[in-house]
Amino acid sequence: MSFQGNSVFDRFLASLAEIVRDRDGAKLQDFLQIEPPLPDVYGQMVDELRQRYPDGSRGEADLQRRCEGLVPKSGGSSWTAFPTFMKLYFCFLRDVNVENLLETYNMLKVLLNQCVIALGDSQFGIVVLPTVLYLSKVLAKLAMGLDRRPELVAHLLRLEGGPEQDESTEKVTLVEKSANVVREAFIKCLTDRSGTPGVHGKPEGKRVGIYLMANLCLKLLFQCGKLRNAEQMFASITAQSPPLKHFPASQRVTYLYYLGRYLLSNNLFFPAQIALQAAYDQCHRQAINQKRLILTYLISCNIILGRFPSMHLLQRPESQGLADKFIPLCQLVARGNYIAFREHLTGNSATTEWFARKGILLPLRNRCEILVWRSLARKVFIHGGFHGETQGQAQRGPPPFLYLTKLEAAVRWLQSQHLSTSPLLVVSPFANARVSASKSQFGSQIVSITADPDFALLTAQDANKGAPDASILTEYADYLCPDGFFDATGQWQTNPAKSLVDGALDPDYSQYELNPYAEDAEDTTGEPSPLMREIESILASLLTQRLMRGYLTHRNPRFAIPGARLRGALPTGFPNVWQTIYARELEDMGVPGWVKPPPTIAAPVALGGGGRVVNLSGARPVGVQ
Amino acid sequence: MSNTQSEDKKAEASQQPQQQKPTVLEEDDEFEDFPVDDWPENETEQASGSTANGNNVHLWEESWDDDDAAEDFSKQLKEELKKVDTSR
Repeated sequence: MSFQGNSVFDRFLASLAEIVRDRDGAKLQDFLQIEPPLPDVYGQMVDELRQRYPDGSRGEADLQRRCEGLVPKSGGSSWTAFPTFMKLYFCFLRDVNVENLLETYNMLKVLLNQCVIALGDSQFGIVVLPTVLYLSKVLAKLAMGLDRRPELVAHLLRLEGGPEQDESTEKVTLVEKSANVVREAFIKCLTDRSGTPGVHGKPEGKRVGIYLMANLCLKLLFQCGKLRNAEQMFASITAQSPPLKHFPASQRVTYLYYLGRYLLSNNLFFPAQIALQAAYDQCHRQAINQKRLILTYLISCNIILGRFPSMHLLQRPESQGLADKFIPLCQLVARGNYIAFREHLTGNSATTEWFARKGILLPLRNRCEILVWRSLARKVFIHGGFHGETQGQAQRGPPPFLYLTKLEAAVRWLQSQHLSTSPLLVVSPFANARVSASKSQFGSQIVSITADPDFALLTAQDANKGAPDASILTEYADYLCPDGFFDATGQWQTNPAKSLVDGALDPDYSQYELNPYAEDAEDTTGEPSPLMREIESILASLLTQRLMRGYLTHRNPRFAIPGARLRGALPTGFPNVWQTIYARELEDMGVPGWVKPPPTIAAPVALGGGGRVVNLSGARPVGVQ
Repeated sequence: MSNTQSEDKKAEASQQPQQQKPTVLEEDDEFEDFPVDDWPENETEQASGSTANGNNVHLWEESWDDDDAAEDFSKQLKEELKKVDTSR
């Protein structure tokens, strides 16, 4: 080096040149610190930088020239991205002002971006891999911190956007911007061409960084709620990554956790369960917090698939706090009271809030209800069904069956039980729903309408029949009792007494049908009720999913369980949920996004010519996810 | 640099109390980095006794159908269904 001096900066550069020559990525990362508190020597270097290379085109050009000396000239190819990155690094140290967190964020993002470009070099790129990871983590931490405390940068973002900010384009949050940069680094790692690529490869070269970068990117995408953007990542991993098992345990467990959550959010509960179970099994047994998070989603998947957590599992240290959330839910599923189930997962209870924050409220609410209906149908069958002839086996009697009117009666009974307490029932705006559950026109009452505050006055009005509410009069006095009005003949009439010009309000609408979909009562005599129709379709759905076995008759509605002689009506008609789903999913135990080593049995190599056999056992039908 | 650092630290320290509540609420949602990169199989959850041999059957209850006829809900349901029978 021509500039060997005694300044900290000169010595720093000299050491960097050695590190690059030795291709020591870990040491390079160790040198390129950015996060305060920095050792004093960095402070000295910053002072020198400010003196010798002040902000401005001249200083930067000089600085760039100094950095160009860091790259080995041999081999023809020059790693031009690295000197630029180093110049940006020194500028960052020189200029960063952590008082302005938005500016700090932007500078850091530019720095990381340049480092990712340097990572792209086929020869030297790997040297900056640890630095890319380090900078990515700092950027992610900053972005997520600011995401949680937006007030720290709100004033700066406003300035940046200006008043004419384009509202037609989607706003990209700092977290999502960070994810996009990290994804670039992930792609550079995945597409390293050295060594053996793909499923036969090992984590060598930049490929060692695949899951480190993927996990960081997934963390950011989960934070900013842009999970959809992860789809391409999983597809690329499936296509190009070496098997996951060759990577360190921390990366495997973290990746399987995010993959499981991604699959869960895409309603692929069975593969999600496999990924999360593997994450749990491979997790370090002392990593309680990680295990608790994995279990939160693993238990949710299993409940949806018809498998409840055992007391043994819920008593483990990592399950602390989970039993309170999941045991009541499991009990409600087994009990079969669908209204209590809906109430449990509706409204603003702390439990609902917790499920919602974890992102499992909707899957649990939507997917478990069918299990609740199965439980209800099963109980009604136990207490009200025909269980088949117990004696006289020789004679062929009718198969066990259940009149669906009994299920209908059970539902009506549940509705009447909950009429006074259930917000789902009481808030129905249709008068006749309130009158009597037994005359309900609305099936199982899926429609849930929360009280609209705008109509609160109307309801109050309802209560004290006729006398207009004082607050209504004050608010709408100019309309209800104006100074004057035009009468029916078009003559202006003054109204000095300020009386109600249209007379007293009549809030009694009971004579009117307010439900636009109401059917004429006369037309429906002898027809099955909407509730019966709904019960039939719920049972049909259970039968289609094979969660119940048998058939339905529509005329004189019944659910019949043929072939129950051997095993009995109950196990035949209501088979075990988990075993049914497991048997169905057994055909394909693959988890999209989880790369496994290819089967060890060597596939016969077709030796040219005809007679090639293409094995399609792994192919899926068109249109199946 | 060192000056701004210490100022920054002070600023951070003064903001701690307000910060506490939201972070406590959200941090348990975040999957923490593991303190170590890799560990052998015998330190995993799977190897720790209860789930050994890949046998995790007793972590999960496959049969949960509620057949307790003495339980309140079942008893009431039974009574209701009897009424349907008698009204026929």
